[in-house]
Amino acid sequence: MMAKSNTVSKFKQDNKTAYLLLAPIVILLTIFVVIPFFYALVVSFYDWSFYQESKFVGFRNYYLVLTDDLFLESVWTGLKFALMVVPAMLILSFLFASVVKNLSPRFSGFVKTSIYIPTIISGIVASVIFVFIYDYTAGLANYILGWFGVEPVAWLAEVRTALPSIAVPAIWLGFGLTSLIMLSGLHDIPESYYEAAELEGAGTWAKMRYITIPLMRNVILYLLVTGFTAQISQFELSLVMTNGGPLSETVTPNLYILNHFRNDVMVGNSIAASLLLFVVLGSISAVIFRVLNSEKAVDG
Amino acid sequence: MQLQNGKKLKSLTVLSSALLTLSLAATACGGSNGGGNASPSASGGNSPSASAGASASASASPSESAEPAEKVTIDFWAQKFEDTTDAWFKKYVDAYNKSQNNVQIKLTIVPGDAWDQKMKAAQAAGKAPEIRTLSYGNIATSAKTGQILPLNDLMDPAVFDDLYDNVKDFVTVDGKYYAYPKLVEPSTVMYYRKDLFQAAGLDPEKPPTTWAELLEDAKLLTKKGVFGFSIAQNAGDLGWSSWGLQYNAAGHLALTDDWSKADINNDGYKALFKFYQDAYQSGAMPKQQLAGYTDIKGFGEGKVAIQINGSWAMGQLRNTYKDMVGKVGIAPMASIDGDQTKPTATLGGWTLAVDGKAKHPKEAAGFIQYLLAGDPAIMIDFFKTAQFSKFSPRKSVDEAMKSDPDASKDEWRALIAEKIIPYAKAEPIYPWDVAMAVSTGIESAMKGTSVDKAIAKAEKDINDFVAKNKLAGTNPKS
Repeated sequence: MMAKSNTVSKFKQDNKTAYLLLAPIVILLTIFVVIPFFYALVVSFYDWSFYQESKFVGFRNYYLVLTDDLFLESVWTGLKFALMVVPAMLILSFLFASVVKNLSPRFSGFVKTSIYIPTIISGIVASVIFVFIYDYTAGLANYILGWFGVEPVAWLAEVRTALPSIAVPAIWLGFGLTSLIMLSGLHDIPESYYEAAELEGAGTWAKMRYITIPLMRNVILYLLVTGFTAQISQFELSLVMTNGGPLSETVTPNLYILNHFRNDVMVGNSIAASLLLFVVLGSISAVIFRVLNSEKAVDG
Repeated sequence: MQLQNGKKLKSLTVLSSALLTLSLAATACGGSNGGGNASPSASGGNSPSASAGASASASASPSESAEPAEKVTIDFWAQKFEDTTDAWFKKYVDAYNKSQNNVQIKLTIVPGDAWDQKMKAAQAAGKAPEIRTLSYGNIATSAKTGQILPLNDLMDPAVFDDLYDNVKDFVTVDGKYYAYPKLVEPSTVMYYRKDLFQAAGLDPEKPPTTWAELLEDAKLLTKKGVFGFSIAQNAGDLGWSSWGLQYNAAGHLALTDDWSKADINNDGYKALFKFYQDAYQSGAMPKQQLAGYTDIKGFGEGKVAIQINGSWAMGQLRNTYKDMVGKVGIAPMASIDGDQTKPTATLGGWTLAVDGKAKHPKEAAGFIQYLLAGDPAIMIDFFKTAQFSKFSPRKSVDEAMKSDPDASKDEWRALIAEKIIPYAKAEPIYPWDVAMAVSTGIESAMKGTSVDKAIAKAEKDINDFVAKNKLAGTNPKS
């Protein structure tokens, strides 16, 4: 009897501590996420103006967004952009992390620091740097092409090259963090697996195929989900570098929303678009989870 | 961790109610903050300019009589323009603040690309500045949606009589004046390099007058490192900078006057699209713009032979590219058929307006009257520092400027005033989406879409926009 009540009260105490520890984040989330979210939901049904009475318009804002070719195009642009950036970033950082893992601690420290530098550079600064690189007459990219006698390329103005040109700084910016996460994932794989495999005569390729990649699944899943979400909602690169041009080739969903927010007299449209984007991002993450089917790594 | 025995349920309720109160309090704070005005900080300015300001504000202000009543602080947001303009704003805000004791104007210069976001955010929070810069094209919509106040009762009616009639019309909505104009500037002027004309065997005193000639000359002038021609080339810039040429080719804009449908599927617009397409694809234009349309950097650095830009670029040339000025000629933009009395430009420009929710409309309007509608010397100072690249909407200022030696012997200024402005049109006030539909069409034609297809797409986009937004019959000025 005594023992039982003791465990109960202990259990309760733990609960309280847990609530207490959760409180700050719950409060902050409520103020900055939950309340604005529901408020946005309400506002999305109104023609919302800051100077006149808001008018209830039902699903009209959603109708306007969904029938706007430009919105659907922008979601497609966002997807294309993510498909350019995320796989390239994952492959590069996987290779990079594999190399760094085998370096001497001293040198790897140096390499890790230098690779991390782009991560702390703001997207805006990176955009400006790359605008200089892509400059038509005086940019580094065309200067180097000039050595080989190639005509200057209008990197940011050509329909064909604009989106890939913006993808490059995105990869550069995200590469450092992705590599470090990959690296810690690699370090997490017990050395004994590799030793055992070696004893069995497995080569480098077999070890990667049957040990490294399966055990990295959760890391890769995490990077895929966060990577896709981040890249589809990317907007400052195209805002600064092309402002959505040429035509609307580089209008990402968030830039579409920002443009409507800036230009529209009523704000309902951009809010409806934001909520729809939320649905799009949610479904993409769900699909990735589904396809990769996360499960706990069986180790130790 | 000794807080025992509180029932689980109870503690949950407490926690959630605390949460709710907290969040309510937080939101309430956010909402009410807008009411109190920003603290009367001394950010308005740098004192050294006092001497300059003193002359203008010498009007005896009996500061003693003004009882120490609450000094009113008024926020004033000005878009970032040329450095000279920013300095001019600062100078006269300081002078005004020193000239009286009742009102403190707090000037904030906001960069153009941050303007819309910052303004929307401020409006949403109820903290919009009481005085703001506003372009002519935005006045009607802002007035219709209550974002700005009519000035008729806030300012001395006489100041509006001083305006030229066409400009008076720019700021009028439903018979009321909603803004006071500061300047007008034609959006399209042709700048060309006389020395390069000579080198290419062209007559430097005879710039091209038709589009066909212009394209021919541009090809001749294109050499290694120099592009023959530069004009707006992305949808955002084309949206407004092509209005004058739309008038030139078609005689009207892309939307009917009652805003009921697109008016773009015609020969005039086809010729216009073709012109941009030919120019871009001839190789005389850079494939990627060297700078935005409002920036004459590429021309100033000697990389372009014929540059289309607004009159404001005169100021930039004279202030930043002084070495170039001697080699530059200016002329009206070439016309579709050589008729130089057809419009080639729209008259853009800036005004000051009072916010629809202003707490001190009277005081705000008082400052606008001081700055833009008062002593002509203040405005003349502005036009001087802008190198006469902008033009006065006020008769009295022009009158006073006649006696100014610099202004009267400025040939560029005379050319623009005589050969471009009289034929220029007002900027349209229809929603920006319509302008973008047209300019996206132009850009797609430049990038290889056939003219007919580009026009058809633009027509469809405009008609869709009109239908979806029930635009027909909503033109505030018809």
